[in-house]
Amino acid sequence: MSSAPQKELVTGSIRYAPDAEVPNVDHKLFALRNQCTECNVCEIACALVHSPDGTINPQLSRLRIEHAPEKPSKVSPHGIGFIAEICHHCGNPPPCAEVCPTDAFYYDPNTQAAVIEQDNCIQCMECVPGCPFDVVFVAPQGELLKCDLCGGDPVCVKACAARPEMLNEGKQYVRLPVLFYETQPDFNQTSKQKPELQDEVGMMQAMLERGEISSSA
Amino acid sequence: MESRLLRVDLTTGECNSEVIPHSVFERWIGGSGINNWIMWEHFLTHDVNCDPRGPDNIFVFGVGPLAGTGAGSGIKGRITFKSPCYNMFGDSAGGGKFPYMVRFSGFEYIAITGKAPKPCYLHISNQEVSILDAAHLWGKNTAETHALLQEEHGTYPSKTHTLTVSQAGENGVGIAGVVSDALRIHARCGGGAVMGSKNLKAIAVQGSGGLPVTRPKDMLAWSDDFRKKIDSNEAVYGFKRRGTLGAVEMYQHIGSHFWRNNQGNMFRGDEIRSDNWVKKYHKYSEVCSSDCFIACDAKYKIDGTESEAAQKYVGETFRRPEYLTTGSAAGALDVRDWAEVAHWGKLTNDYGIDNQDLSCSISFLMELKQRDLISDRDVAELFGHEQSLEWGNMEDIEACVEDVVFQRNAFGVMFRDGPYHGALKYSAMMGKNFMKYAMYGKGGASFTEEMRPFPTWMNNMAVASRGADHLKGIGLIEKFQRKDLSKIYFDGRIEAADLSTTELKGACTAVVENQVALLNSYGVCMFHWMLDPAGYTPQDYYGKAYGAVTGIDRTPKELMHDGERICNLEKAFNSRVGMRREHDTVCERWMWEPTEEGIYPGKVAADMFETVLSDYYEWRGWDKASGLQTRAKLTELGLDDVADVLEADGALA
Repeated sequence: MSSAPQKELVTGSIRYAPDAEVPNVDHKLFALRNQCTECNVCEIACALVHSPDGTINPQLSRLRIEHAPEKPSKVSPHGIGFIAEICHHCGNPPPCAEVCPTDAFYYDPNTQAAVIEQDNCIQCMECVPGCPFDVVFVAPQGELLKCDLCGGDPVCVKACAARPEMLNEGKQYVRLPVLFYETQPDFNQTSKQKPELQDEVGMMQAMLERGEISSSA
Repeated sequence: MESRLLRVDLTTGECNSEVIPHSVFERWIGGSGINNWIMWEHFLTHDVNCDPRGPDNIFVFGVGPLAGTGAGSGIKGRITFKSPCYNMFGDSAGGGKFPYMVRFSGFEYIAITGKAPKPCYLHISNQEVSILDAAHLWGKNTAETHALLQEEHGTYPSKTHTLTVSQAGENGVGIAGVVSDALRIHARCGGGAVMGSKNLKAIAVQGSGGLPVTRPKDMLAWSDDFRKKIDSNEAVYGFKRRGTLGAVEMYQHIGSHFWRNNQGNMFRGDEIRSDNWVKKYHKYSEVCSSDCFIACDAKYKIDGTESEAAQKYVGETFRRPEYLTTGSAAGALDVRDWAEVAHWGKLTNDYGIDNQDLSCSISFLMELKQRDLISDRDVAELFGHEQSLEWGNMEDIEACVEDVVFQRNAFGVMFRDGPYHGALKYSAMMGKNFMKYAMYGKGGASFTEEMRPFPTWMNNMAVASRGADHLKGIGLIEKFQRKDLSKIYFDGRIEAADLSTTELKGACTAVVENQVALLNSYGVCMFHWMLDPAGYTPQDYYGKAYGAVTGIDRTPKELMHDGERICNLEKAFNSRVGMRREHDTVCERWMWEPTEEGIYPGKVAADMFETVLSDYYEWRGWDKASGLQTRAKLTELGLDDVADVLEADGALA
């Protein structure tokens, strides 16, 4: 229940009037399924940003990396994969806030994200089953944890390293991270517009080309 | 910065929690540095010449301060002990989720001494520690043990992560390793035998605590910058796709493989030289450990269509073989099918055994058979069952592995400590000197790469504190002839990248060993640094992250000094057990038998060996004649207390 000092890192604490109309979240978080490597850096970064005392505890992060072996995808036919389970920021008001008996949710004016005001939360946990995506988490001490979009600059997205295997076609590849913070939810569309195409080169080949190594004696 | 050490005495069943004060971090950085110090202190009150398989040996697990802080540079846990197979300093690093979870349990270091009266395992759930009965786990391999422990302890207060040994560790096999989460092996030096000899089957850990970061904002900014550096590095992309397997092609080009017990240095067989198979299963799995921006690991699943041999392993899934798994199977044993190479990786991991020492033990005998130095009858006597000792015969190789793991025949018993001790015993038994065919470096440890044309690597094999190994002083400058790096490291000089001269070769080992000691002490993976050795230097770039996490701000020069101090403590331990200059050597084939292929034919180690070794001692400030440390050097590093101990043991120059 120690929420005060975190405001230093997470911006946004202006409360909307309960009856005021709040626009929907325009930028949303997205995670590509089966592309995650379970490096946990997003969890660690989220825990650190939201930590009241500068300690890292992944159990206090607002997203979880889950193993999804039963969900094979086009790129991973064997179903070996991980997925970042992360708040979808449903239309306002979101289901988690709607079921809250104490109106403990407020809206961050920068992002329109619904955020839990810990001081008003009675830890009844109604929002946990209230969330259709199971992404309101419970901390070991009972605190309810929900993504607040870090005030508009989500640290999990910053922490997600780009992967070269995305949309691999022939000898071209696209570098994309697994987590996105985007207005456009259509990834097929974005991936066609955005890609920075690179020749596929192995580590050694790249070093050879840059003249950092020599293949002769 | 403070940390907690869990001390467990298995003889009495006592578990104590101790605080590791800030001053220890000031001196030893963390991770392997602190592990070494815990072991050093232990052997001030215990006999340093004790039997490594006896209750007097200590088994230390530790994880450094940068691990799990979002540094994005991987997490490596480290085990430190007196090695049962090489009878000297022993340590080994490994990934997996175990070290990550250890940090959240509140104990970052675990020191285990004594011997339990019956098989047991250690369970740590946050600050609660219990020694539990392991009767139901005894006789199980690492994968089975891990699965049972996960089922037993469930997911509260967190998922259960484990460090386990297989039947090999239980049976006292000297080359048995310790496996983290059934996937990532701490293979070198025989940690499995130490755990097994203490009747300790496993350590299971669950943690839901937090770990402190002194300056969180600095750490986040550093992490952000590091990710941008990684994402904009071209070399990283090759590494993300292929991992260390990228070396297969490169090594084929320069002739650096270890083919058929190093009779050659190029792989044979078209398929094994290509990375078609690797591409097929190249990605989409977890990283080896948490907190890594690269994820060079991958998984395979065999569907049986890959090759004829693959039909034997339909449905088998494990992590993709890395270079040394391939080097030991496709190289040392000449296995030419990727499915079999992958199976070799799974086999040695499930049995928790070092594939370097094991493959060289088998290839030693295969070469004797190939040269008709031993007869079919000799082989039958040694194995007690049908054994062809044919190159690349996977079924027979698998039988050899099990012979060693289960100690079920003369071969298994003789070669339990690797090829050097095995070859000595076998030569004695046969009344012939077969040592010419045993491949080993310092301490009798094996390594499956061609070394002869590369003086720095050869020097690494001869001086590494834990026995022949490349990970103490990995010489990228020389093997890939990085003149750019040589200039940065040595004030504009390029000789370190020139294979034709002895200049700066020993220097290269000494400087890089200090850097590696730093990385190992931070508790991060080495590969991130290797992808841009001048860009993310351990003493400068990583040093800033170390400062943000611990609050200990050091200049690059001071940190290099710290790295040197850690290396000197490892050396001091080896001096105490009697190692001198004559022990810093390599096997006969590497020393005297010229290479026949590759782009550097006709090379032998002896061409440059002694000059480079003397050069190394000179850079280290040690005595060249005896190879021992000098008091002047130790005083300069603030190690007067260590010098006193060495002097009392007659191990100071």
